Amino acid sequence: MSSLKELQDLIHEKYGIEPSKLDPNASMRETGGLDSLALAEFLFAIEDHFGITMPDEDANIDTLTELAVLVDKVRAAKTA
Amino acid sequence: MNHEVCVTGLGVVAPHGDEPGTLFQALLDGQSAIRPIFPELPRPAAAATVAFDETRWFTKLQLAGVDRVSQLAVAAADLALRDAGLAANDADPERMGVYAGCGMGGAAALEAAYRGNGRVSPLTIPAFMPNAPAAHVAMRQRVQGPVLTYSIACASSSVAIAEAAKAIRRGEVDMAIAGGSEALIVPGVVLAWQAMQTLASFQPGEAAGAVRPFASDRSGFALGEGAAFLVLESAERARGRGARSYATLAGWGLSSDATHLTKPDAPGQARALRQALRQAGLAPRDVGYCNAHGTATRIGDVVERNALANVWGNDLDSLRVSSTKALHGHMLGAAGAIEALVTVLALHHRQLPPNANCSEVDPACSLNLVAQHDTGAPAIEAAMSNSFAFGGTNSVLLFRRS
Repeated sequence: MSSLKELQDLIHEKYGIEPSKLDPNASMRETGGLDSLALAEFLFAIEDHFGITMPDEDANIDTLTELAVLVDKVRAAKTA
Repeated sequence: MNHEVCVTGLGVVAPHGDEPGTLFQALLDGQSAIRPIFPELPRPAAAATVAFDETRWFTKLQLAGVDRVSQLAVAAADLALRDAGLAANDADPERMGVYAGCGMGGAAALEAAYRGNGRVSPLTIPAFMPNAPAAHVAMRQRVQGPVLTYSIACASSSVAIAEAAKAIRRGEVDMAIAGGSEALIVPGVVLAWQAMQTLASFQPGEAAGAVRPFASDRSGFALGEGAAFLVLESAERARGRGARSYATLAGWGLSSDATHLTKPDAPGQARALRQALRQAGLAPRDVGYCNAHGTATRIGDVVERNALANVWGNDLDSLRVSSTKALHGHMLGAAGAIEALVTVLALHHRQLPPNANCSEVDPACSLNLVAQHDTGAPAIEAAMSNSFAFGGTNSVLLFRRS
């Protein structure tokens, strides 16, 4: 299952950004206004929320959809 | 050419609120903002904290990596500019400067990192760094000239204001946002201050009166948090735009004891006092009020009294003195700024905040202390604020009525 909905809820809770205001396929930096610092903090919140460790090499992820795919992958690896 | 330096805006986020007039009235009324904190600590603790609504100044997204110490600074600096009747684009950004004092930096960020059981926010460092408050003020107000941080313990923001005044006087900047912020009321830091043996002791229910500057029964200070900023401009510029000037920053004195890290030194303090008088072209008897450093420690108050007595000599009785730390706590890196702001308001309103909680003056601290029932000063023309730091740096700011 996709983590997208949970990520949208998390970004809403943490930064007050409504799911409808951030196209999952748009750049979080350019459209969502998350700069590199906010994004780093969001990844940290994701780790806390899902109890996972995000891999460092995917720090260049730019859209919420891409992020959801990665979170799904890490969660799947964890349960496997 | 030397420009005269005017104070045209005041902004504060303090334990007594974020309106300078309300703060000043509370001080005149002798209202203490010091309350018990952290009941879970082994020893009783008290501090003056700020009821701060960060959502007035930041969206949730803007708060990423912004410690409370920077939040308070952004708010107080913004209030100061509004009070000065300035919008961010009223001056050439390259001709504006931020001069900010901060003793510690983002204490909450560091405490959270330590208490996170190994989970440390990736933004701990940018949140903690002591120059973050100045940087956030600069980003908020688009200040592109000098953006500087002065970390000189209890004298941080007094020195910051003196340095800003120098830059205005020399024409290096047209406008300066000068002051400081401190927010370190977190359990780890309070424990460290308790271990230093400089905090006031108090009986249950008596925290509000725990800090008793110059009194026989004084036992130290209480920590405070907050931020205060002044807008400084040259007199020409202030007149040119029809700005109100609260006061002129006529002189400042900076000196170092160079004797001991934490023990204050009267000759060192006297050097700063003399320098401020000399620069302002004033004699001791011209100064009607001193907002003392007055930390209410056993040694500190006596040393400050001796420094004043040394410089004022036979005119000592003409100098009225109070330490408002009894009421707003010791705001450390923000202390110089809030006390400068209080001094400016005292001069502006010709009313002096009382030296609270001093029922019996220590004979070794014999000074003309401002009494609760006698706060009027109808003829006052000049007033000063003392800030004496751990590390031995002394800073005196001397203001005249505009």
